[in-house]
Formats: sequence, structure tokens, C-alpha cells
Amino acid sequence: MSGFFAWVAVSGIVQGLIMGLTFAYLTTVLVLNAVARTETKTVNGWSSIRKAGHPDNGLLVRAALQKALPVVNVFEEAAYWTATSDDAGKRLSGQHTYRLHFSAGQLPPNDAFWSLTATDTIGYLVNTPTGLASVDSHSGLVTNADGSVDILLQPNQPSGAAQNWVATPPGRFKLMLRAYLPGAAIVDGRYEVPPVLQVQS
Amino acid sequence: MNRLILKYATPVTIAILAIFTWVTYRRIAAGGLDSIILLVATTVAIWVIGTFVFIYVWPRITVGGFKRIFVRRGLGGGPIPVNTIYAVPESPSQSASSGSVIATGTDNVLYFGGWLDVTAGPQVLHVPGMEKRYYSVQFTDPTSGANFAYVGKRTTGTAMGDFLLCAPRWQGDTPPGMTRIDVPHHAALLIGRVFVANKNDRRTAYELAKLIQLTPANRA
Repeated sequence: MSGFFAWVAVSGIVQGLIMGLTFAYLTTVLVLNAVARTETKTVNGWSSIRKAGHPDNGLLVRAALQKALPVVNVFEEAAYWTATSDDAGKRLSGQHTYRLHFSAGQLPPNDAFWSLTATDTIGYLVNTPTGLASVDSHSGLVTNADGSVDILLQPNQPSGAAQNWVATPPGRFKLMLRAYLPGAAIVDGRYEVPPVLQVQS
Repeated sequence: MNRLILKYATPVTIAILAIFTWVTYRRIAAGGLDSIILLVATTVAIWVIGTFVFIYVWPRITVGGFKRIFVRRGLGGGPIPVNTIYAVPESPSQSASSGSVIATGTDNVLYFGGWLDVTAGPQVLHVPGMEKRYYSVQFTDPTSGANFAYVGKRTTGTAMGDFLLCAPRWQGDTPPGMTRIDVPHHAALLIGRVFVANKNDRRTAYELAKLIQLTPANRA
């Protein structure tokens, strides 16, 4: 019996097990990341995954989406979009000022609420001493004369309407827009979130 | 620990692969190519089988991780016993300790959650009248990670109600006034959200969230 164990030890089977499992894990991670990317739809710099949490996903998609967005809501319960770069493809940074311009009637349609938050690159809200790092459907946003709405993203309070301002954290940040109970235009894919434009100062 | 692994994933991977290369090279140097036939065969077999197994179990491991966090550590108020719902009093903003467990980055909802297990018998989920306030209870399957059911404004409305949560094969009668929800794999991760309009509304939202409770069906 001890001869058998000695043979197993020198045969390379143990090493093969360790190497095989490691390669299998790395392959799994690469495959799931690739599948998650193909399930991510990005419009105007805003990414969303519409199939997250859905019961009819296949084996591969369900694993990939549990890796990308573990235990999140289904899209028709809450639509999530994230943006990490501006309209020009540059990473969002607290050093710059950005504007998000919603045309008249183009705030995210919903039956509950929407909210826009600036977080660190992982997704945590950062303590921004100057003001709130979020605006939402209950912020009392000021509307322009033509019915459109501008939201300013910058570290310091703007001279204009403070309620239309998202205080951004220093360094790189991420934006998250959510619409709970999204309206039909979101669910069927017609609705597009406008791009994040850098304001030249 | 997880964060460290995530942060240094690439160098750690390169180091491990370098060790594999070195050990395999030493084998070849000592005994020639013939000495690594078993090694290569085992590696390839485990690689192929392992990839399928990892992909298959990934959702289970993910949801299982949430179960362990809920049941062992809780969401800020200590461990949450199985078939109990705990409501988080404050919003997750800036509290990475509780926020790290479930979704982060929103001030508009209060979270509540727990682990449902109906193997010992059905449970009753009670929800209070929410006066049109948005809320939802998400039922996530422990094997697939799919959200197989929702109780809340979108699916069941905001009136007071009781939901009988049971195994699909459970034969009993659904008490009058209750809605039956089958739990396919006899367990589910429950994650709930209640809308909070602003700071002054948080108290009201929390009082409502605390009324969302599970009780064994025979005692309901």
C-alpha cells in the first residue's frame, strides 16, 4: 500500500491534479469574463446587462452573470447602467467637470424612482464633504426653458442650481444610474441614456 | 483577502505558472519526456473536466457565499438565523461594512434580507400595506442564481398580504387569502428593498421593512 502512495507521489498525478485545477480555474474566469462582455450592451458609454438574474439563462450565461453582477435584480425590476468613461472615451475623473443632458421627457421612465450616483471605481459611495454624490427623481431638479434637464458632475458646488449637482469624488470614479420599475421604453430597449460630456473650463 | 487576490491577480497567476513550468522542467531534466506522460494526461483531463465543473458550480458558490455571510455574519445586526428577515436600519451609503455584502451606492432604498429554507415545512412571508411605496422581495435560487420569484410592487402590488412559501411537492392546502409560491430547490436567498424618499422618510421606511417577516406556516 505504501508502495502505491509512493508511486502516486512520483508519478506526476498529484502535480497534474494541481496544475489541471489551476488551469481549469483560469480558463473558467476567462470564459465567464468573455461571456459577460458579450452580454453587456454599451450605448453612449453606459453599460447594462439585461439578462442578469433571469431564470431562462443557460448554464454559461448564468455563471458569467453571477460573476459579473452577483444576485442583482432582473432588468424589469431595476435597470442598472454604469459608466466609467466620458463621451470621448476618457476615464471619468474628479479633476474634471461633466454634464449630463437629458432632453425634454428623457429622464429615465419608471414606476418607482431613478437615481444617479458617483462612486469609487469599485462601486462604493465616497464621502464627499462638499455635497451629495447623487441626484434622484426626488431631488427637485431644475428644468431648462425647453424642458430639458442638465446635471453637473463636479467636485465643487456649481454657481447654478445645487440640486442638479452630483459631487464627484477625487480621482477616478464610476457613475451608476438606476431606474427601479423601469418603464416600457427601457425594458424594450428604445430608451438611451445620454452620454457624459466633459465641460471645457 | 479577496481584495488582495483581486488586486494582485495577474502577478499571482504569473508566479504560479512560473512554478509549474519550473517543476515540470525539473521532471523532464531528471527523467526525460516519458516521465511526464502521466502528468500531462492528468493535467489535461482535470483541466477539461474542471472547467465544466467550475462553470456549473459558479452560481452555487456565489449564492452560497451570500448565504454564509447572512447566516454567520449578518448585515450589521449579528448573524441572521435561517428563516428570519433582518432589516438594515441605515442606508448603505458610506458603510462599506454592511454595504460590502449587498448592492452598494444607493441612498434610495433600505435593504432587508435572510435565508429561506422550506425543507422542514412551508413558511409564510408577511408583508404590510405599503401605501403604494416601492418595495420588493427578490427570491434567488441557490443552484442557478436566478431570481425565480418576486413579491413586491411590480408583481404582487403594495397591499398587505401573506405568501405561502413551500416545496413544489408540498401537498397541503393554501390557507384562504394566501398566495402560494413554490421554492424549486427548497431554499432561497431573500433580498428586499424598500424605497426611501429622503432622510426624513427613513424612519417610516424602516418601520415598514421590519414588518416584513417569515413565520412557520403551522404557527401563522
